[in-house]
Amino acid sequence: MPKYAEDPAWEDVVPIPQDDGGPNPLAAIAYTEEYSEAMSYLRAVMANNEMSERVLDLTEDIINMNPAHYTVWLYRAKVLFEIDADLRAETEWVNKTAFRHLKNYQIWHHRQLIVDKLGSAEGEADFIARMFEKDAKNYHVWSYRQWLVRRFDLWEDGELEAVEELLKKDVRNNSAWNHRWFLVFGKDQDGAMKDKAVTDREIEYAKAAIEKAPQNQSPWNYLRGILRLSAQPLSTVKAFASRYASLDDADSVNSSHALDLLADIFAQEEGAEEEARQALSLLAERYDPIRANYWNYRASLLNGSAGEAKAKGQSAAA
Amino acid sequence: MPSPFSRLSPALEPHTQLAEPSFDTKRHVTYWLRCLKTFLPNVYTANDSNRMTFAFFVVSALDLLDCLVPHTTAAEREGYAQWIYHCQHPAGGFRAFPGTDFGDRRSAQNECWDPANLPATYFALATLLVLGDDLERVKRRECLAWLAKLQRPDGGFGETLVNGRIEGGSDTRFGYCATGVRWILRGTVEGPVEGVEDVNVDQFVQCVSLSETYDGGISDAPFHEAHAGFTYCAISALSFVDRLPHGAKTYDQNAREDDRPLAGLSDLHATIRWLASRQTATLDDDDEVDTNGDETDTPSTCHDAHTFVRLRGFPSEQGEQSYKERPTSHLDLQWAGFNGRCNKLADTCYAFWVGASLDVLHKAPIASRPRSRRYLLDRTQHPAGGFAKHPGDPPDIYHSYLGLAALALMREPALKPLDAVMCVSVAARRCVDGLRWRRSIVGEGGGGRGEEGEEGKGEGVTKGTERTEGTEARGGESRPAAPSSAGTTASASDGFAYMAISGG
Ligand SMILES: [Zn+2]
Repeated sequence: MPKYAEDPAWEDVVPIPQDDGGPNPLAAIAYTEEYSEAMSYLRAVMANNEMSERVLDLTEDIINMNPAHYTVWLYRAKVLFEIDADLRAETEWVNKTAFRHLKNYQIWHHRQLIVDKLGSAEGEADFIARMFEKDAKNYHVWSYRQWLVRRFDLWEDGELEAVEELLKKDVRNNSAWNHRWFLVFGKDQDGAMKDKAVTDREIEYAKAAIEKAPQNQSPWNYLRGILRLSAQPLSTVKAFASRYASLDDADSVNSSHALDLLADIFAQEEGAEEEARQALSLLAERYDPIRANYWNYRASLLNGSAGEAKAKGQSAAA
Repeated sequence: MPSPFSRLSPALEPHTQLAEPSFDTKRHVTYWLRCLKTFLPNVYTANDSNRMTFAFFVVSALDLLDCLVPHTTAAEREGYAQWIYHCQHPAGGFRAFPGTDFGDRRSAQNECWDPANLPATYFALATLLVLGDDLERVKRRECLAWLAKLQRPDGGFGETLVNGRIEGGSDTRFGYCATGVRWILRGTVEGPVEGVEDVNVDQFVQCVSLSETYDGGISDAPFHEAHAGFTYCAISALSFVDRLPHGAKTYDQNAREDDRPLAGLSDLHATIRWLASRQTATLDDDDEVDTNGDETDTPSTCHDAHTFVRLRGFPSEQGEQSYKERPTSHLDLQWAGFNGRCNKLADTCYAFWVGASLDVLHKAPIASRPRSRRYLLDRTQHPAGGFAKHPGDPPDIYHSYLGLAALALMREPALKPLDAVMCVSVAARRCVDGLRWRRSIVGEGGGGRGEEGEEGKGEGVTKGTERTEGTEARGGESRPAAPSSAGTTASASDGFAYMAISGG
């Protein structure tokens, strides 16, 4: 059913059909008539650089069928700004569209343009919270959230508390852990890493989360990240890690990540190579056999022989 | 809907012999020939603007299955090449689909809405190579001049140029495609070539370093979460410009240092740890039990180390109760895929993103290949051919291609060996070395980055298998390869739209 061809509002437009380039097109799609027609009209208005209200309807139509179209979004944004459209209404529309196309990237870029122009983050926190109800690990939403924090200086604006809420719901939400890192270190990583009060607080935070679920890798990574970037030796957490894994009681290891950390700590300790090897073999044979090759590789770095290999292993661990 | 593979669920008896999984060549060939020769179903309309990427998947999949030449005529292959050239942009680069072309109504006023697209340009060149084309019809100088304009001051690349503005994200997918295009068209030579300025390689390497994350992975921008797709793109891009760190050149960490300009990956060991951590036996929602409020860890709640078994005692009664209900057979561990981020489910495409990243770093043996192969063949391979994202899902072109690519990397006998960096067959990659016009630019060495002998891939360490090259590229001017520099790769892009998307 032609939609535009029979609409008097579009009768002045001469559509441009698609030239699919000869008899052997690749990845040719069984377009619906509706899509082919709308695209023909889109090409026609773009070719004329038409900036109008009806173009907004047409681009909406296209976006609903093909949200990945890379110029239709840019064109729509230009039209919005040129005709001075109501940008609040646009965010409402984008909200709906985002829910329909959760994994689309262009939507977020578009939203960023609009919200930037609006100059206000009002309502964005609610919108994000609703998106997180659908998927609390949506990559685009988290990226957009970081942009909001920077653009509107929301560092101190309840962000840490919001992350805390999400981690309370799921302490394994690595995206939330990453956002915490961004909030704490994103402004001035080098400065924050030199601030003992900050690094101590974050280390305690990670430890408390590990206490809750020792096999959750996220806080272990967070802990290691802080130690590495603040140049603190891994041995500072030796006692802590030993609570979850001890070579003396190999039957009751509580966390493979603790064992992994201990292996690195032993590897750096003078004369503790045998312990490192023991920890790695427990991982390979018993506690994390999926990664046996990796643990064996780590053990091969210990191979005392070459000082260089050892040094490398250590510097990586440090 | 019940998984079609449920009959393959692991038995609980620990001594059951596992049936050897099999690769169903015939059905995969059927799947891909259908993609090549008939219209893709309407649902692909949402990817109309990624057609060049899908063209690549279809053509390269048939090449990996070694049935492109047997099932198409020379005239058809030339027809496919013509379609790609039809998408070439008048000012250099390629369109991602014919849908933005205004034909004879194109003008200086409207050309901004019909730009060349970076991922499409990489995939167009890669597909032409797979088809055996000599790239003589590519507007090389225009393309390279355009490429330099796509680079942002921070060193990263955008997707398109619209009215002189760089549009699109700034992540490593575009960096991958940009360095891939550069490598195909001018090797690793730095500085102006044929009067065209080079991109700023140092600045690009710097930009990649800033996207490294605290846990050793790489994200799409500073402080974003580590993601295996972006990690692959970054590592492969560094390979394209020959800026991988020394430790990535060989499996043997005792090898001697060489002198290199600024290299990417500030902490190779952390990156390898992060990649190794991606392998997981958490394959579907049933594995990912709700862990809310659960303070204990059991095999079923360990998303990232599914294997972890606490042998005695629990911190609480609640923990003991929940543990009792759950199967603990080690047999579960015989199927392990890869996730794209910490604490997420396995997904077919990450078997490639992670496996290939390790491969490019010469650390392929670190992944458990038998488990990964079983996961792909028993769990996500679809009875009608192709691969699904998760067990029980329908197959799609993107996951079907990356599933094949992952298996090809693991030397699946029915598939041609894969070049991890370019994500095409090794034979197709070698066609690059044979391009006449290119030799005059890069010299006889082939413009590779760094030597990469057989030992290079490091397979030897755990498996002792030699990397044997399979069939020669069909249709192309295949020639004895110069020591291959692997290089290039792949696909991530896509789809760009995709990768980030694929939930990973
Ligand atoms: Zn996927």
